[in-house]
Amino acid sequence: MTSTIIEVRQLTKKFKAKTAVYNVDFKIARGEIFGLIGQNGAGKSTLLKMIGGLIHSTSGEIYFFDRSESKDQSFFERMGLLIENPGLYPQYTAYKTLQLLAIAYGLKSPNQYIIHLLRLVGLDASDKTKVKNYSMGMKQKLGIAIALLGSPDVLILDEPINGLDPQGIVEMRKLILELNKTGLTIIISSHILEELSKIATTYAIIHKGKIIEVISKDDLLLKCEERIELEVDHVEKVLPVLEQQLNISNYRVIDQQNVHIYDSHIENHQIVHLLARNQKLVHSIVKYKMSLEQYFLELTKSAGELHA
Amino acid sequence: MLNIFRMDLHRFITNKIMYILLLVFCAFQIFGIFMFKQYAQPIQAGGIDISKMNESEFIQHLFSQPPSWILIYIFVFCVYFYFSEYNSGFYKNYITMKKARVYSVVSKILVQAIFTVFMMVAMVVSDLIGRGIFFDNTSIGDLGYFAKLLIGLFLLLWAFSILILCTSIFTRSMLVSFGIALVLVLNVVGMIFAVLESLLDNVYLSQYLLVSTIYSTFDYNHVRDLIHIASVATVTLLLFAFIAIRLKIKEDLR
Repeated sequence: MTSTIIEVRQLTKKFKAKTAVYNVDFKIARGEIFGLIGQNGAGKSTLLKMIGGLIHSTSGEIYFFDRSESKDQSFFERMGLLIENPGLYPQYTAYKTLQLLAIAYGLKSPNQYIIHLLRLVGLDASDKTKVKNYSMGMKQKLGIAIALLGSPDVLILDEPINGLDPQGIVEMRKLILELNKTGLTIIISSHILEELSKIATTYAIIHKGKIIEVISKDDLLLKCEERIELEVDHVEKVLPVLEQQLNISNYRVIDQQNVHIYDSHIENHQIVHLLARNQKLVHSIVKYKMSLEQYFLELTKSAGELHA
Repeated sequence: MLNIFRMDLHRFITNKIMYILLLVFCAFQIFGIFMFKQYAQPIQAGGIDISKMNESEFIQHLFSQPPSWILIYIFVFCVYFYFSEYNSGFYKNYITMKKARVYSVVSKILVQAIFTVFMMVAMVVSDLIGRGIFFDNTSIGDLGYFAKLLIGLFLLLWAFSILILCTSIFTRSMLVSFGIALVLVLNVVGMIFAVLESLLDNVYLSQYLLVSTIYSTFDYNHVRDLIHIASVATVTLLLFAFIAIRLKIKEDLR
């Protein structure tokens, strides 16, 4: 059984007249990679900053291990943050940056640990290059090393692949998956769905400050999978025919009239021909395929219409 | 708390800007004494020839002529030290630690105290060098008086640095902070108060303002003057330290 590590209840953030995040609710299970998807300005960073303890909510609560943050702020220190750009002194080397933070964390003899962290993210501890001369990818990696310094339970990554080249994106993805394998819960935001779909196990779609859907990876794939949507008089009478004569096995009954068929070897005309031959009435038959991007766009569009 | 202070102290000690500021200050202080010598003939303060002043009198003479360079160096350092962390976003790496917001402000206040001590040491050393070279006079005067003067000045300057820190946290802008600090150093607020006081009878609020107190000449042997200095410094110090901490706790960080 997976335990809830973070729960957000009715979380709202207002900046003067603007509501950046409105009545947000969701739960994050331990060991999950929780993907936060939304357009630019949707409220992703604001939401992550509230979870990370950088900004205060206007109303609502954040619970860590079933305890409210308003009662015990110490839970924030169990978070590793990489929000927007990593906070780095340009004149320091990667090693010196971590060394400075190790003092703040009160780590005794941190040298080996720093070398281990830098190696983990793919940086060289003996490199004397100053941070100001780092590429975007190197800065992001150092940002993750910094976030891991305090041995957090939760790693919050806000748009970590922004500005990275394809090679950098692949490396970052690999690193995130490796970190997750160690049991670390990861919250990651992005507006690049394709990339997020390769790593996240649960998705929360945020639009204009509201969470419009929280969906598991399996459910999302099911929704986006190629399928034939068939509407007939009685599904229970049609299914045996399809199973026996077209070898259909992968399907989902929606209601008494509708069934979704996921077997990719079947074509529409085969079904129509078969059902006509068996004197079964077909109301409609549609081949359906939706990309993640389309799914997201449709969802945000319908949410936009609801707002309007 | 101690760990965040140790981190800030490490950054302070390894900060080249701090040493450059101290060196430039020493150089200009000595150059200033050279200029006093060049134009010394009519310059007299309180009936005493500058070249005959002891260190205590010389320091008080310098502080009686606004704007004070030492205040300018202190505000430049305070604004720079705070914003080098704030603008780089480095605070994000540790601010989630328990009570880190409070400790971060307290730590900056302590570092500023150390810098203020460094500035005062630099001032005394460069004064002695300059006065020794150009006036052939390195007398300090009464040591007890000198010690009281340094302690009083330290408290006032430290309180000033906390006021600048508070301004920096409030404005969140380096340029605006520099602007406000400059207005404070020029004692514009004190002058406005003085003008308003002249319109009223028996109101003497401006003498209790921090910068006005720094620019005023006191007799450190008089208990009343000592109380005045100690109370202005302590009230300002505690008030603005409290405000700075409250602002940081409430602040929505970038």
